[in-house]
Amino acid sequence: MSLAPSERLGATGDAAADGPAARRVPKRRHSGTSPAGPARPSGRRRLLTRGSIPYVLIMPAVLGFAVFKAYPIAASFWLSLTTGNGDSQHFAGLDNYRRLLADPLFWTALRNTALILVVQVPLMLGLALLVALGLNHSKVWLRPLWRLGVFIPSLTGLVATGVMFSVILNRDAGLLNWVLSLFGIDPVDWLGSSFWARIGVVLVLTWHYTGYNAVMYLAGLQGIPKELYEAAMVDGAGPVRRFLSITLPQLRPILLLTVVLSTIGTLQLFDEPYVLTGGGPDNATLTVTMYLYDNGFKYFDFGYASALAYALALIVSVLGVLQVRLMGERR
Amino acid sequence: MSQHAHSLSRRRILQLATASAAGLGLTACGSGGSGGGAGGADGDSGPITVWSWTTAAEALRGVVPSFERDNPGIKVDVQDLGNPAIWDKITVGLASGGKGLADVLHIGVDYLPGYMEKFPQGLADLSRLGADRHKDAFADGLWPTVVGKDRAVHALPWEVNPLGLFYRHDYFEKAGVDPASITSWDDLIAAGPKIRAATGARLLGLDKPGSSQDVDFFQNLLQLQGAFYFDAEGRITLASKPAVEALTVIKRLNDAGLVSDIAGEGTWKRLVGQGKLATAPDPAWAVEYLATKFPAQSGRWRVMQPPAAVPGGGRSAIVNSTYLAVSATSKRRKAAWRFIEYALTKPAEINRMFASGGVFPALKKAYDDPKFSAPHPFYGGQQVLRSFVTSLGPGAAATNFTGDYSRALKFAADAQTQVLLKGADPAAVLKAAADQLAQQTGRKQAA
Repeated sequence: MSLAPSERLGATGDAAADGPAARRVPKRRHSGTSPAGPARPSGRRRLLTRGSIPYVLIMPAVLGFAVFKAYPIAASFWLSLTTGNGDSQHFAGLDNYRRLLADPLFWTALRNTALILVVQVPLMLGLALLVALGLNHSKVWLRPLWRLGVFIPSLTGLVATGVMFSVILNRDAGLLNWVLSLFGIDPVDWLGSSFWARIGVVLVLTWHYTGYNAVMYLAGLQGIPKELYEAAMVDGAGPVRRFLSITLPQLRPILLLTVVLSTIGTLQLFDEPYVLTGGGPDNATLTVTMYLYDNGFKYFDFGYASALAYALALIVSVLGVLQVRLMGERR
Repeated sequence: MSQHAHSLSRRRILQLATASAAGLGLTACGSGGSGGGAGGADGDSGPITVWSWTTAAEALRGVVPSFERDNPGIKVDVQDLGNPAIWDKITVGLASGGKGLADVLHIGVDYLPGYMEKFPQGLADLSRLGADRHKDAFADGLWPTVVGKDRAVHALPWEVNPLGLFYRHDYFEKAGVDPASITSWDDLIAAGPKIRAATGARLLGLDKPGSSQDVDFFQNLLQLQGAFYFDAEGRITLASKPAVEALTVIKRLNDAGLVSDIAGEGTWKRLVGQGKLATAPDPAWAVEYLATKFPAQSGRWRVMQPPAAVPGGGRSAIVNSTYLAVSATSKRRKAAWRFIEYALTKPAEINRMFASGGVFPALKKAYDDPKFSAPHPFYGGQQVLRSFVTSLGPGAAATNFTGDYSRALKFAADAQTQVLLKGADPAAVLKAAADQLAQQTGRKQAA
């Protein structure tokens, strides 16, 4: 059954194989060493050949990338090696990176980010999977409406989300504490204590992104061939067995995608804690990107901010590779 | 799925990962180069734009008709960018060499020294246009802030916010506390429990978790002692004796149960509205703010000069101040300067702005206006503004904000939070804060 995709990929492989061959043809022509070749007027180079068309087609994207991505990325790297005032930067080598290693706030921010990552991402993805399984169930009534409802939070603006939750989580007048009070629970200082502020951020992130991931899982679930389940049922497999042996393995590529994307997203976390807690109390929810922003736009220390950006990029890359290694290779 | 499909998606994911991570570099970086004065010109006519925020922008608009009448050929467009959005716009503009900035910029004291230090070529040299002749026209302590390292003037003071102590007169009476007997925070800490017992109100509100990084009160307690985060040479004084005294006052207030937590949107307003705060150490802008927001409490409030941070200490402090500057890349620097001079050095204009926007003027001549000795009904007929003018007398020392003020503010806010939430020792947390500030800025600490 899983032969079909690989067959298609085989076809792509063939197409790729005759790519270079096609390119070899004009090369030989231009060299002009083939006595058997038909004489062509020299100097008339055809710009659009079978081999060059793909490059012409991707040119706009490449140019756009070069101007708006590659250049800033390179400029930022250069900036991370400099220090000084806004208009008199001078080269400082690795000073910014050395400063970073000795900066307790950087480590605090990194620790906070890691903590949120470890707690929030599994929680959210687990929840998203449950929601997706529910939404995929044929017995659920008004399915499109539920799906829409689950997805809507991820359309809410990040800052709007933050503002909304700062009202909900307010200790004295917040909705959540009011609800808790109905059950006789004492008001929780959601944004005022280090522990609860972190929980608050986790809560907001989970609310915002669970639906997004659930929709991805749903798409994955719907791509699983029904025949697999039918065959399993014929063999007498129960629901748990079917979930573990069919659903999860089939979902693996999408699981991997969501894990990696969520990891990147969490490591770049900014808006929600920025609006909700401003990084407080006492830096309990300070994230690396918030610290980066502060250094750039509050302290005008662009060199140091760039060094932070590169440190973060490195961490994200390493984590990404690790996750793909761990989750992707296993067969 | 086949092995091949896996390696494809893996590669794509990796590309995604690195691209979006490195994309951070893009948002983080500001171009280092600046053209300085290049591109600017001393044009004397034409349209000029002004960036300001909310009530101040509205007040400035009030000056435009008479200015345009007196200066034919200059058209003024005042834009309200909102606060804090205006800081990002000015910062990005300065960082990209002054591109896209308005001709006239309204800048707060918390940003001005930073801009002047980090972008020495960013704000026009107003001395060249004659700004120095107004040197003695403004409240004491403001002029050093506008003079750059190049000894040139880069802005004119507009607004100054002298500190006062607003207090509930009725509460003090009920508790049998004579306001005249309060000369230091020691006295208030002693009176606080009496007031609380009689009225249920705590003394004041502080943002305990510090999410807004509002440490004005701590800062004021420093300023009352003639101190700040930095000394005149720019050395760090965040762990100095006055700083420890200031944070100790806050700790004592908190330990005595006299502080309400005002973290969160609108909490302070709600507490004041419910009569749960007996005092509000706030600057002059609060005069009209309290009167407008809490009309039901009319007649119950009074103002006194701020109590000294330590017994026998100074009783005046400037909470903050704002300025108008001209962008160095402005094509019409002379026209922009003429607008600034017109708006900020004419008592009639500056008082008109005060009347419409509540921006307390820095111009000393403005205080001759009868409004500064008028009785205010909300304050039981007290001449409230007079008390703030008195605060601006000698003693309101210049405060050295320096280019690293925002970083210092962060460490001060963290230190205060540690004291308020975890009962930390003021001297210890301030020492740690000063050390971190030194590590981050390369500044020396004062002995």
